[in-house]
Amino acid sequence: MPAPANRQLAVRLAVSRALGRTRDLNGVYNAALETLAECLNVSRASVLLFDADGVMRFRAYRGLSVQYRIAVEGHSPWTPDSVDAEPILVPDVSREPTLERYLPVFTRERIVALAFIPLVSLGRVIGKFMLYYDAPHAFDSEEIQLASVIAASVAFAVERGKADDVARRSGALAGSEQSAVPGGIARNDSALWQTEAFQAGQRQVLELIATGAPLAQVLTLLVHIVEDQSEGVCSVLLLDTDGVHVRVGAAPSFPDEYSERIDGQPLGPHVGSNGTAMHVGQPIIDTDIVCHCDSQWDVLREAAVAIGLRACWSTPILSPHKKLLGSFATYCGTPRGPSHEELRLLETAADLAGVAIDHHQSQEALRQSEERNRAILRAIPDWMFVMSSDGVYLDYHVKNPEALLAPPEAFLGKSMREFLPSWLADDYDRAFERALATNEPELLEYSLEEHHERRFYEARIVRADSDRLLCIVRDITDRKRAELDAAAQRHELAHLNRVMILAEQSGALAHELSQPLAAILTNAQAARRLLDQSPLDLAELRAALDDVIKNDKRAGTVIHRLRELLKKSNAVLQPVDLNEVTREVLDLTHSDLLLRRMPIKTSLSPVIPPVLGDRVQLQQVILNLVLNACDAMSAIEPAEREITLTTVVDDGFVEIAVADRGVGIPDDLLDSVFEPFVTHRAQGLGLGLTISRSIVLAHRGRIQAENNADRGATFRCFLPVANGQV
Amino acid sequence: MESCRLSDGRVAVRRDQDEIAACPNRGAELGVYLERPAVDTESETAVAHMTNPDPLNLVVVDDDEEVRTALRRLLRALGHKVRVFASAEEYEATPVEADCLIVDLRLPGLNGFELMERLRLRGSSTPIVFITGDGGPSPNDPTIHAGTPSLAKPFDEHDLIAAITRALSATHERAR
Repeated sequence: MPAPANRQLAVRLAVSRALGRTRDLNGVYNAALETLAECLNVSRASVLLFDADGVMRFRAYRGLSVQYRIAVEGHSPWTPDSVDAEPILVPDVSREPTLERYLPVFTRERIVALAFIPLVSLGRVIGKFMLYYDAPHAFDSEEIQLASVIAASVAFAVERGKADDVARRSGALAGSEQSAVPGGIARNDSALWQTEAFQAGQRQVLELIATGAPLAQVLTLLVHIVEDQSEGVCSVLLLDTDGVHVRVGAAPSFPDEYSERIDGQPLGPHVGSNGTAMHVGQPIIDTDIVCHCDSQWDVLREAAVAIGLRACWSTPILSPHKKLLGSFATYCGTPRGPSHEELRLLETAADLAGVAIDHHQSQEALRQSEERNRAILRAIPDWMFVMSSDGVYLDYHVKNPEALLAPPEAFLGKSMREFLPSWLADDYDRAFERALATNEPELLEYSLEEHHERRFYEARIVRADSDRLLCIVRDITDRKRAELDAAAQRHELAHLNRVMILAEQSGALAHELSQPLAAILTNAQAARRLLDQSPLDLAELRAALDDVIKNDKRAGTVIHRLRELLKKSNAVLQPVDLNEVTREVLDLTHSDLLLRRMPIKTSLSPVIPPVLGDRVQLQQVILNLVLNACDAMSAIEPAEREITLTTVVDDGFVEIAVADRGVGIPDDLLDSVFEPFVTHRAQGLGLGLTISRSIVLAHRGRIQAENNADRGATFRCFLPVANGQV
Repeated sequence: MESCRLSDGRVAVRRDQDEIAACPNRGAELGVYLERPAVDTESETAVAHMTNPDPLNLVVVDDDEEVRTALRRLLRALGHKVRVFASAEEYEATPVEADCLIVDLRLPGLNGFELMERLRLRGSSTPIVFITGDGGPSPNDPTIHAGTPSLAKPFDEHDLIAAITRALSATHERAR
């Protein structure tokens, strides 16, 4: 849909063309109905004018019955004396009390909504347009503005047509002299300017605007056309977009130096009556600029006086939204006021200038916004592709096309399946489907092997319209590599921590292995002795061998766990039962805790949803916390010691808490207890808690330390429940 | 030390307990000869002695059920009477007459040493053999000098029997 300014311009052109094709009043009315139908898509409309007795009479109509016209003729919300007439909109006639008596007529005529658009000439209502709808109609402001534009042109043409009629009847159409009345507005002068030439000129201006000609060119043409129709010279001053300064729009008949002097002056009365008109927003008629020396310094006046001009009439130029855009001034060689027709000419010129300036400003705003968009695009390193919903490249914006998988001319108009690996095209397809269905941005992350190098990408997919998508692709290789490096370092540190734990625990681990080995050897030797006995105790023999097998497996499990802890593997994410992990840690530390006299008790949640994580790393976290609890209690009497391991399920998280009855954390260390090398232990690097935190964070969880109310400290880890689980 | 060239071209050096044979272009061969310890024969004798029809009353205190069960099975197969307990406290609750106690050092609650001390304080002189899962008792342990034998798990039946024998004879010595 074109911008409102363009639409208005188009409507003006349409009216101007339609009216330009006719000279008589009936032609004008029909042109008006034709334009209404064409521009507002209204099939039923009418034109009514006040007759000599001030009664509203139908002049032209479409789609109205005789009965209807007879029933409503004469009705008017306005009288010929009405001022400031505004359109009256009736979205639903049955809800409009003032029209109640016409309701049966409307019903018979199937009229449900209607609008009264006043035809105003020089501030007076001369008639109206009626628009009729057979369904309730919500009028929008643009629609009414367009109707008003048409109304203004038609009112003008009606007045012109009436003047032509008068002139024809008096037999003095062309060549008559204007009868000027000094110091006042002349009336009843002949319409010298209402020539074909002016009509043609007006269309020329509109068409020049429509072709996008520079504003100065349009305004200069307008000034020339008006100057051709009058005895004076004209200028257009513009109000700068800053709302303060005055710019010269066009003053082709004035010396350049004067234009230069006035350009950039702040708005105010001193910029001549032209500037004053702008300043007060009203037409200013200065009948004698030499005598009226009370007005302040006036650059243009100096210039005007220098070339023999005496009177200045100016009128503000307003946008269709009544915004002040500038002023249009005519300087005349005799000290007098404008005639009725000259004033109308001035207003018409100001109106046309308004269209030109408004159009120019909206085009300029559009251009600037496009330029801004282009600047933004230039600044964005991302690649953008406009894609059809079935994956065809429609458009692109890429700063460095050489980095793409294929040159743009090769992929435009083709399907992504020709360029992307099929798994990736499948991923994109699914993302497109979701983006189209939900209207939410979709995120896709993937990596591709390019030139023997793995590169990482992140694509954001948003719906552009019903079947097109905007796909913004960002190369995130650097960030991804940094993340992977950090993860590798974390794994390295975590591994180091596990090796250290195992080194510290070697005694306990030897014990864990020596128990099953002792049981195996003893059972095997018992079995050999049993073989020598007579009679054979087969049941006891079998029990001995069963125990050999059982204990061998038990030793194997210990070795397997050790190997897991010592293994330098990348994290393997899988659903993990934290209760199970806790029990494994207790098995592993059982004898060490026994030796160190650290009684441990557990309170595990009976039902526990899995968390998504790496089993070994989560074991390590609990192991670190348990060993930390032991260290905190080493100076405490054995009878006073206790470690409590608790698991709790709460609000999408599984919490595992390790509480001790130890010395607690000094207040000044509470904040830094997870920082590296913060320790009050004699041995160890103080990395255990740091590594535990990094592991928990990598699992999208959090860890916190607090002192217990009575004694000791509690460390709590919160790990998110794996998706799809409650 | 003597050096000689062997018939196949090798050069061999021989001292009392080792042998180095070097072969040009083929590397060298090193052999070490060590005296065979006499322990084996002694424990064989001990085992033979233990399987005699003179059964002992033995008590095993170990918190590991598997080890406990295995020891009971072995010692019964050797012809002895065995009672097992999971902790020092459990044993103390039901004290039984025993010729020898086989006690794990690392126990929940009272550990092996503490159990021994309490028994000695009460005037009991029942011989004790310590068994331990983490590489033997610590070197500065005074009980080593007191003549209480210790065995590191896993241990051979011969070593166990030898230790029991030693404990019995040590007590016998003290009693005399």
